[in-house]
Amino acid sequence: MPNIMNSIALNHFIILASILFCIGMLGVLIRKNVVVMLMSIELMLNAVNLIFVAFSRYYGDASGQVIVFFVMAIAAAEAAIGLAIIMAVFRKFRGVEIKLFENLKG
Amino acid sequence: MLELFPLTFYAISAAMILSALGVILMASPIFSALCLAATMTLLAAMFFMLEAYFVAAIQLTVYAGAVVVLFVIVLMIFDLKKEKQSFSGNWAINIAKIGISVASFLILAVPLGYVLARANPGWLQDRAPVSKDLALSLFGKYLFTFEIVGALLLVVLIGSVTLAKSKGGTHAEHHE
Amino acid sequence: MGQDVFEITINIVKIILIFLMMIQMVPLLVWLERRGSAFMQNRLGPNRVGPLGLMQLLADAVKFIFKEDFVPQYATKFLYLAAPVVALIPAALAFAAIPLSTPIHIEAFTKWGQSWGPYTIPMQSVYMNVGIIYVLAVSSLGVYGLLLAGWSSGNKYSLLGALRASAQMVSYELALGLAIVGVLLVYGTFDLNKMVELQSGPLSFAFMGKEFVISWLPQWGIFYQPVGFILFTVVAFAESNRLPFDLPEAEGELVVGYHTEYGGFKLLLFFMGEYGHMMVSSALIATFYLGGYQIPGLTVADVTNFFTSQVGAGTLASILTALVFLISFSVKVAFFLWVFIWVRWTLPRFRYDTLMDLGWRTLLPWTIGNVIVTALILFIAGQS
Repeated sequence: MPNIMNSIALNHFIILASILFCIGMLGVLIRKNVVVMLMSIELMLNAVNLIFVAFSRYYGDASGQVIVFFVMAIAAAEAAIGLAIIMAVFRKFRGVEIKLFENLKG
Repeated sequence: MLELFPLTFYAISAAMILSALGVILMASPIFSALCLAATMTLLAAMFFMLEAYFVAAIQLTVYAGAVVVLFVIVLMIFDLKKEKQSFSGNWAINIAKIGISVASFLILAVPLGYVLARANPGWLQDRAPVSKDLALSLFGKYLFTFEIVGALLLVVLIGSVTLAKSKGGTHAEHHE
Repeated sequence: MGQDVFEITINIVKIILIFLMMIQMVPLLVWLERRGSAFMQNRLGPNRVGPLGLMQLLADAVKFIFKEDFVPQYATKFLYLAAPVVALIPAALAFAAIPLSTPIHIEAFTKWGQSWGPYTIPMQSVYMNVGIIYVLAVSSLGVYGLLLAGWSSGNKYSLLGALRASAQMVSYELALGLAIVGVLLVYGTFDLNKMVELQSGPLSFAFMGKEFVISWLPQWGIFYQPVGFILFTVVAFAESNRLPFDLPEAEGELVVGYHTEYGGFKLLLFFMGEYGHMMVSSALIATFYLGGYQIPGLTVADVTNFFTSQVGAGTLASILTALVFLISFSVKVAFFLWVFIWVRWTLPRFRYDTLMDLGWRTLLPWTIGNVIVTALILFIAGQS
């Protein structure tokens, strides 16, 4: 059985995760649609998960994977709340652009 | 002997970066969501390769099977087929934003990669954590955090139902 | 994948064969469904083409393939064409992990001027030690095919059907996972092969340090998880979107739901996905609760010894053993497929709110209770 640790260095995972994280960040910066921005945030969280799992494998410790569970729970919570807020905004303004959120008060 | 791991790693990485770019570049939000689902699935494959089977399964069921489905359903209810203008600002500002992203990539990846390349490899351990380690960790060391996350999810449940309910309230009881 | 050319070839052929076997079951099941429903409703069903109407399958297939291939005007074309394939893939992927029979041992032999080492070929597409997790993960992707089909058709009935389908599948996914947890607690392994091996021989267990053996019952999961068996079967029905859980395609309300706008070969792909789901569910029920390919009263060693005494030890005995157990597994799967059809033509459809009620307020608490009770009993049984 070939071993992943001997054939791929940990740096590769870090570079891949960094690329994903920056793509997600770019998405948050350049898109106007709030739903797509939320998706980009999910992308960033996933990049972090990849680093956690890679380190947990290379370090031989389960803690990294446990943190990934927590991140997933938080991400699901964030998506649910975020989408509920977007639904409320959509009902009021018939649109999902980030500009509409300027009108929220109090 | 074929070098299987590097080959799969690079193939999955390339596909993952492409689909991640698809998430932020697709004009139609539904296609963005589908690209996100593809990214999640590929990430699960990567976790499978890292012998984190349990995390891979949770990644597929929770992310690809529930969170992204939630996105897709919300987008379907909005029925936004194509946006007139997907990207904000003028092009100079957008190029500046791309520059910021590239810079942050360099800030993130280069020092970590450099430090790791120079680091003493003594802390590396060739022992994939199995599900038993995971369970002992989750219900031992991290039990309190686990409970707090459970409480958080309950709060989120109540909060999102309250937010999503229509303001009229007359037919709200029917709905849930 | 394998060590040398021979093993890789065998494995690829095996994967293709198992996939084709699954696809070939679909027309047979359609025939069984039509004849079976006719039998239950006191009519004849299709009996004109060929003996017992069996050639009807071929006629149907030809009809499906030669239908006009159209795309509705308001459809999103790419997704509209992709959705039927996406609906078929999860079922096909999940079926790959199910052990169909005992592994075949091929003895070392010499051919083509080279000696080929002894091989052990497991009788499943992909051998993996985390089979259950894989099946659970892959089947959660099944919802995409329906969602895409419903949205891309550009038809409000399709969209409503898809929304219902996805809500139903996501809700029942929870109960499905929890029902499987009970099974996992009993066997203590993620490996479907090990699970089947554990179910051989007579019913025997240790409780409070004492050994119990009931020789007239097989060591099957159903005796350890009777409640889990019922819950899992109900959830499996809901996950495959069939009556009484076929709300997504309720004819009276939604025309035919998410595949309203589909016809011809694309509709056939949706049917293949649905029947594929049925097959995966039946195979999982058989593997978890009815001993997989095991035969009651016989162990794998018995059958192997019998064939060894008849044809001598070696590859042939191993193949014959695998064949016997493959037949045993097929019988169990066929029985559950028949139950699927039987229930479909017996029970009326749920109303949507009662369906959600069943999922969240009945099945979910019962599965959680099942897990807690199983864990408690296992804990008590472990004390001595």
